[in-house]
Amino acid sequence: MKELLKLFARIIQRTNINLRETGFDVKPYVNNLINLDHMTKFYAFYGITPSHPLSFEFLHSSLAGSYFLGKIRTTNSILYKSDIRGDELKQKGDVVHYKGFDIELPKDEMIDIEDSILIKTLVHNFSHDPETLEKFFIRSTVSTQYANIHGSPTDGSFVGPFATIDLTTMTDCVIGAFSYVQASEISHLNVAPGTIWVRSPDVFNFWYRYPAEQLAHYIYFEAGKPPQGLFMDFVEDRKEAFQRIFDVVNIEHPVSVPHNASLDRFAVVKAKTHISENVLVSQRAFLQNAWLGKGANAQENCYIINSRLEGNNVTAHGAKIVEAHLGHQVFIGFNSFLRGRADARLTIGQDSVIMPHTIIDINKPLNIPPGSLVWGLINDQASLEENSVSLKEFSKVRSFFSKGRMFFEGNGAAFVGVFRDRIQHILEANGALYNGVKNKGHAQKNQNISFNTIQPYPNGDFSGLYPTILIKP
Amino acid sequence: MEFKIKELMVPLSEYATVSIGSTLFEAILALEKAQEDFDHTKYRHRAILVLDKEKTVVGKLSHLDVVRALEPDVEDGDELKELEKFGFGDTFIRSLKKQRRLKAAPLKDLCVNAMRLKVENFMQAHSEGEYIEQDVSFDIAIHQLVAGDHLSLLVTHEKNIVGILRLTDVFAAIFHTMKECETTLP
Repeated sequence: MKELLKLFARIIQRTNINLRETGFDVKPYVNNLINLDHMTKFYAFYGITPSHPLSFEFLHSSLAGSYFLGKIRTTNSILYKSDIRGDELKQKGDVVHYKGFDIELPKDEMIDIEDSILIKTLVHNFSHDPETLEKFFIRSTVSTQYANIHGSPTDGSFVGPFATIDLTTMTDCVIGAFSYVQASEISHLNVAPGTIWVRSPDVFNFWYRYPAEQLAHYIYFEAGKPPQGLFMDFVEDRKEAFQRIFDVVNIEHPVSVPHNASLDRFAVVKAKTHISENVLVSQRAFLQNAWLGKGANAQENCYIINSRLEGNNVTAHGAKIVEAHLGHQVFIGFNSFLRGRADARLTIGQDSVIMPHTIIDINKPLNIPPGSLVWGLINDQASLEENSVSLKEFSKVRSFFSKGRMFFEGNGAAFVGVFRDRIQHILEANGALYNGVKNKGHAQKNQNISFNTIQPYPNGDFSGLYPTILIKP
Repeated sequence: MEFKIKELMVPLSEYATVSIGSTLFEAILALEKAQEDFDHTKYRHRAILVLDKEKTVVGKLSHLDVVRALEPDVEDGDELKELEKFGFGDTFIRSLKKQRRLKAAPLKDLCVNAMRLKVENFMQAHSEGEYIEQDVSFDIAIHQLVAGDHLSLLVTHEKNIVGILRLTDVFAAIFHTMKECETTLP
């Protein structure tokens, strides 16, 4: 295992060099997060479909339990139970429109991971940086449990547990636990835990920060200890169900799946679950007594339990929905945690937008009106009123708006428009709008994926590392 | 005329000083007393020096520092400072501060609260460029004031602080020199 230890130390050193200006030391945070001895215990696997360009290059990397789809290269990296999902990468000939420029891609885009440690991290979408359209790179970066690196080329950064970096090029930054950043381009920034920041320069700027003490109940991460709190307990409690999924070669799910819907073979599906047409259920999703209406989806690391989603619902990566009823076309942002109780259900009216990283955790029934914009920490009716506004009212904001701990500057209509467009794009990409002829998306294209497994050196100096593997069409 | 720093400076004994642990109100009283004792032909003092137990100067409290203590709700203030880091505009932040101030207590209540606060929470520690030896030349003092954007320098002698060289006294000296030059012009 000598080489794996050397690689681990080298990646930390490189990341720390990038972060020297922030004074942040990655080492104590990541040192005990993964047991390198166990890197031989889990196989890695990749998907093959006729719908996605295929190219895998694994060079001097450890890939334990990780999943790959699309065009991906890993070099000098350690990936632990991470999902590198390249099914939305741009393809040769695609034209990107950027500030009056039409930029045609001369080749397929690829995800290029180098000198990085990714722990239970999801990498998805495509590079939105016009300077690097063919390469969605992740370099000298350490990311931790249930982080999302979504369409965000990343260099020299640390991403805390349950944090999301979305559609942003990031250089030399520290993103605290459960922070969500979507800001086009950031550098040399230390973002405190629980910061929700959505910025389109010169158009709008949305900012909210969780009260530290209350956030600690849900997620708390300090040097030398693994992440703690209710979020970790929630996923740990359901870990065993996934173990069986990964141990068994041929798995039969206990539900019927319409021909135009997709249920990933690495999702957990418990009894009483219903899957309608055009539904997409991604790997590592967890469904239990979940009713998914037409065009609804459950992406990676989503948990939908004792809940009903009426249809065209977007449940973004890592969102959790328990004891809830969601109207038509409700959007639930990344890593949101929505928990009603059997005797205190959560109801969300149609066309509402639950911002990424929202926590709704209630003990009394709560009804969110249709067309609401919701953010932050909500435990009851009073906190709902402080952390929500109708989308119609918000669209009228022309300069400033602040409510509770939320601050907004810019054009409210533009902000709402961006969300509406994005929801539409996600529904299209996921195949929610497929009519039998047009609008095929992941729900249709991701069916019948073949999975191949690959294994590392079992012992010796290279134990835990994979030999150089090139897989081409 | 060649100016000497020790001739221009205000000796430490004439300057307003308070000990660490004093309240802002005690600091303001010290300033008032020092002003009463001071030569009234000169410009007024604008700061109070803070001394530790060994009578060493550890910080300075300016008018602005005292006014800063009136800012309501320190926690909210910190949050607003964060917004600058995250790309919010000055106009927005100013309007938020104004809103906060309007919601805060009346000025009289703010003053009552502020006068009980400790000086160490508002004083500014001196940086390396704010010290000057009493025997160095006058032009070095000018350079230090300009380069560091300082309103005064602490004058030292054999590692002890012996006085304060204020911008206003340096200005007066420069003005005096200019007037002398004018009379000698052809």
